[in-house]
Amino acid sequence: MKRLGTLLIPMALVAGTALSAQTVKIGAMAPLTGFAAADGASVKNSLKLAVDHINASGGVLGKKVEVVLYDDHADPKEATALARKLIEQDNIKAFVAGSYSMPSRAVAPLFNEEKIPMVAAYAVHPDVTSGGTYSYSFRNGFLGTVEGKAAAYTCVKLLKGKNIAVLTSDNDFGKTLAAGFKTFMESPAGQGAKVISYQTYPMSEKDYKPYLSKIKSANPDVIFSGGYYFQSGPMVKQAREMGITAQFVGEEGADSPEFVQIAGPASEGFVIVTNLNRDDSRPVVKTFLKEYADQFKISPDMVGASAYDAFMIICDGIKRANSLDGSAIQKAIASVQNYNGLTGMIKGFNKGEVVKDVQVQVVKNGQFHYKGVVNDPSLITP
Amino acid sequence: MQLLIEQILNGLAMGSIYAIITLGLALVYGVMRILHVAHASVYTFGAYAGVFIFQATGSLALAFLGSMLLCAILGVLIERLVYFPLLKFPPYVPLIASIAVMLTIEELCRLIAGPQILTFSAKLPFPDLDVAGVHLSSTLIAIYVITAAILLLLWYLINRTELGLAMRATSQDMAIAGAQGINSHYIVSLTFVIGSAIAAIGGILVGIYYNQVYPTMGAVPAYKTLALIVVGGMGSVAGAVIAALMLGLAETLLIGYLNVPFPRDALAFVAMIGVLVWRSEGLLGSR
Repeated sequence: MKRLGTLLIPMALVAGTALSAQTVKIGAMAPLTGFAAADGASVKNSLKLAVDHINASGGVLGKKVEVVLYDDHADPKEATALARKLIEQDNIKAFVAGSYSMPSRAVAPLFNEEKIPMVAAYAVHPDVTSGGTYSYSFRNGFLGTVEGKAAAYTCVKLLKGKNIAVLTSDNDFGKTLAAGFKTFMESPAGQGAKVISYQTYPMSEKDYKPYLSKIKSANPDVIFSGGYYFQSGPMVKQAREMGITAQFVGEEGADSPEFVQIAGPASEGFVIVTNLNRDDSRPVVKTFLKEYADQFKISPDMVGASAYDAFMIICDGIKRANSLDGSAIQKAIASVQNYNGLTGMIKGFNKGEVVKDVQVQVVKNGQFHYKGVVNDPSLITP
Repeated sequence: MQLLIEQILNGLAMGSIYAIITLGLALVYGVMRILHVAHASVYTFGAYAGVFIFQATGSLALAFLGSMLLCAILGVLIERLVYFPLLKFPPYVPLIASIAVMLTIEELCRLIAGPQILTFSAKLPFPDLDVAGVHLSSTLIAIYVITAAILLLLWYLINRTELGLAMRATSQDMAIAGAQGINSHYIVSLTFVIGSAIAAIGGILVGIYYNQVYPTMGAVPAYKTLALIVVGGMGSVAGAVIAALMLGLAETLLIGYLNVPFPRDALAFVAMIGVLVWRSEGLLGSR
């Protein structure tokens, strides 16, 4: 009964409204309504900034860029129908997958068939690129398994955890994170520490006390929470209420100002692995953080930053290809090297997967700050 | 042993929350024979009303009272404007209308308050307790106390007052009750007032408990409470409460002791299927 009716709310962030034939159209989808609507809003805001930036600097190939953004409710059924619309009706040249893994997986084969390059902003599931099978699919965010490995590295090496409890969301996102976490723990680097409790909870879970009671009796020193901010937030809060003092480690799903709000004072000291370093001194990061906060009166998160990057990577590809032909853009994106992205220096794409450092951030005084970085090539190369 | 006690306490809190939300549904089904799915959106609306009043006034008491009043009005509006005119149609017609009302209210909450999760960082005035090594947080105690108070008041109202007698009469047969001089339409509206006001309490309590208020917070309760009134016996308030408490306990113990990838939300429906197969009248139902 979650969604009986489906509402189509097409939204176009129109930069140059008048002469649409003179603009380059780039498609995008994000969950603007439904349970993931806050993430959709981040994507929408960031794309608006990105379009403004690119058009202020002259657009691409002498034309203005226009984003056609649709609401997929984070629902794969919705997404496939909208993908057809973007391809046949809107005639887009490239696609920003600004949604969750399920819908992004569903549309990847469609865009690949049509030779339309797509860049997934933050979806983590391997099937979005299928290990290079979909040559037109790229991922700017980390593959779930890479992030899982980086999280395990953070728990064991950075935080010196010995007994670790793992509690993840029972969906694509949580499962791929847990798989990566397990890979690291079973590798030689993971020896000396062990996972003493492994549990999953359903997507809609609100009450983590039953899981936490169990964890409490196992008495770990580090707890890895693989879930979204609306899951890790209440989890951390409830854990502290129950008197659990173990260090919590999360990942990009908790990279949101809403995490801090929901968890309240319990969020202090919470560590995440993500791709957006708030203390990065590069101008691209500083400008984005400032403009976003000024324009939308809220701090940006990794979801929005990743969508910004996905869009900019496409524009960069179009410029270097000097063409709007799908296969030319694909080749340009695939061969990118040392791209100065908002979410880090992109070393390049390996079978569609981004290669860049994983950032470790910690909540201090209600804000995410630099804690460390995971740059071991054996961990961050997908 | 300590773990078991802690898990039972967790489960009772979960069950109490289910009970508060299910009460309104059971009451409405009792008098009107309508599956009031939109009740879950009244609960969502109650949480929003509570959080806004709390932010504006800083008073939790005002938030509870104001939200209960607004929800009661919303409940009566749904009854008068949607259900009453549709009573002459087969039961699936008001059910479909109810689903439409639910989606409308849910989307209105999103349009007005935004898709972001609002936080409800109020502190309920209850103490933390440590009894024999078991820690009881103030939110857990608040949930037990408030649920118990609601159940006692409702029991007294239904079983010990003339109003309750009229409600029971209307629930048994609206036409005959009317012939006996009971203003049955008034009683129906009053049922909506009571059920919706309790939903407001539920919304605020859940909002504070999880520190989250968001447009789709009624989605899971919407179908889970349906399963609960079937298990409890359609229209039986006591049955629904017992079913809710049992479900809260069962879900929690399932998570705590069986580490199988069995989705907790499915449990209510397994119970519902079981009841339909072996005891179609439900735990405390008649007929």
